[in-house]
Amino acid sequence: MSLPVAVIIIISIIVVAGALALAAFVWAVRTKQFSIKQLNEGAKVIFDDEEPIGTPQDLIFKESTNGSPNHH
Amino acid sequence: MAAQTTTKEQFISFASHTAEEVSEKQQRVEIDDSVTSPVVLYFLTGIGWLVFGSVAGLIAAVKFNLPDWLGGTPFLTFGRIRPVHLNAVVYGWASLAGAGMIVWMTSRLCRAKIEKTWALYVSAVLWNIGVAFGIVSLFFGYNQGMEWLEFPKPAGGLIALGFLFFAYSIAQTFRKRQVEHVYVSLWYILASLIWFPLLYVVANLGIYHGVTEAAMNWWFGHNVLTVWFTPIGLAGAYYFIPKVIGRPIYSYYLGLLGFWAFALFYNWNGIHHLVGGPLPTWMVTVSIVASVMMFVPVMAVAVNHHLTTIGHFRMLKFSPTLRFVVFGSMSYTAVSFQGSIESLRSFSEVAHFTHYTIGHAHLGVYGFVSMILFGAIYYIMPRIAKWEWPYPKLIKLHFWMSAVGIALYVVALSMGGWIQGTMMNDPSLPFIASVNATKPYLWVRSLGGTMMLLGHLAFAYQFLLIIYRSGPTRYVPAWFELRQTTEENRPV
Repeated sequence: MSLPVAVIIIISIIVVAGALALAAFVWAVRTKQFSIKQLNEGAKVIFDDEEPIGTPQDLIFKESTNGSPNHH
Repeated sequence: MAAQTTTKEQFISFASHTAEEVSEKQQRVEIDDSVTSPVVLYFLTGIGWLVFGSVAGLIAAVKFNLPDWLGGTPFLTFGRIRPVHLNAVVYGWASLAGAGMIVWMTSRLCRAKIEKTWALYVSAVLWNIGVAFGIVSLFFGYNQGMEWLEFPKPAGGLIALGFLFFAYSIAQTFRKRQVEHVYVSLWYILASLIWFPLLYVVANLGIYHGVTEAAMNWWFGHNVLTVWFTPIGLAGAYYFIPKVIGRPIYSYYLGLLGFWAFALFYNWNGIHHLVGGPLPTWMVTVSIVASVMMFVPVMAVAVNHHLTTIGHFRMLKFSPTLRFVVFGSMSYTAVSFQGSIESLRSFSEVAHFTHYTIGHAHLGVYGFVSMILFGAIYYIMPRIAKWEWPYPKLIKLHFWMSAVGIALYVVALSMGGWIQGTMMNDPSLPFIASVNATKPYLWVRSLGGTMMLLGHLAFAYQFLLIIYRSGPTRYVPAWFELRQTTEENRPV
């Protein structure tokens, strides 16, 4: 393969990769991923009422009231 | 026994739920159930490659001190067994286990059942066939001759195809997500789904020759860590540290800043492997500058994780997941700082072409990525198998064998490598003197490798027990030590 073709391939890939990165960033801005509200609340999305903040999650392995091992 | 009874009662007291909580609990159980089979398949095959690759690595390590050992068997000679080790642990263990962790974590973070489960099965099968085909090829001496790209192209093609099926399922699950916000772990995961195929395609275009090929080789070799393994490790750390502690990440702003700085600087780093090589000086200099700039995202991660954990370090005494993941996170800081310093010309003049680099690579792939994967598996498996790890003592054995093993390995190779580099730079010394000087350190390397292998065997045995729901039934968490949870010591 001659050099110009190789260069064209590489530049094409760079353009595609750059476009993808730009598209991801624009999408993130449009969906307000970086809004103050989401930045303030985002860290909490891994928690919910059943696995709340303040409860170490390795504590969830508890016995159910019917006496059988209950892992959820 | 009294302590166990008390703890058991305390866990029972946590078991009362409101109707809303039961609903959320049921939803999470359904999500976990949707990923069980593919995740177990990824983990099981990954752990199989881990044990196989560890044996291959140990054989290669011992050969440094006993070069004639197994030398009469062609497929066990160093030139074949060493790439077998590298590719088995990288494309077999770390990639497959990482894929399993990503599948589970994506479902949890999207609060959605996994989509296109069939694609995950196809992916796991293609991926494993690709790795097996590549390993057999290496045993028979078919090698592309480029580090990290040793597999023949058909094997690489199967792995790439497997990756596309995997990415398809993850992308579809993301589309169906029930959560508006994209958590920082998901940023890393989604980015890796775009970066890794691009990297792999560019590296395998077959249009490079001579110096350009060397540049491409190290651009790929470094970036496979950058765009695949590091996102896996960081995604895991950003999820499991706050989750296990029960405290949100200290600074979410810093987390996202770290991600974008990581995306900006990290992929330029590979060419620092060619300091002193016949490349344009500006190329190497740009790479060194980018390597030093990596202090920014690394500090962001290190400070964030430290400040999240601070005040909760006592939990390391109990939680296997936290202990593995925090060890991995600290290794990330260490290996990244080390890498930035290593890229400097003055440092590279000594450390390059020595065992020092091998120690550095192992601190990254093992101390950082693998330790976080171990921690992730210890967290995930009881939830999807609905069975607790039967033997906490085996987890403890695994942790200490892995932690002490990798510490010995890295310290020995760093010291031995530096001495080796210094002696190689001294023209008054014969080359063989630099080889002989490393012998004691290479024995320590083999000792570290043996310890890691023992840890992996304990891990693999217990993994088989949990997928068959075998061993003693446990009513309390598989902690290192049973803990009396009271209002005074309960983490907040």
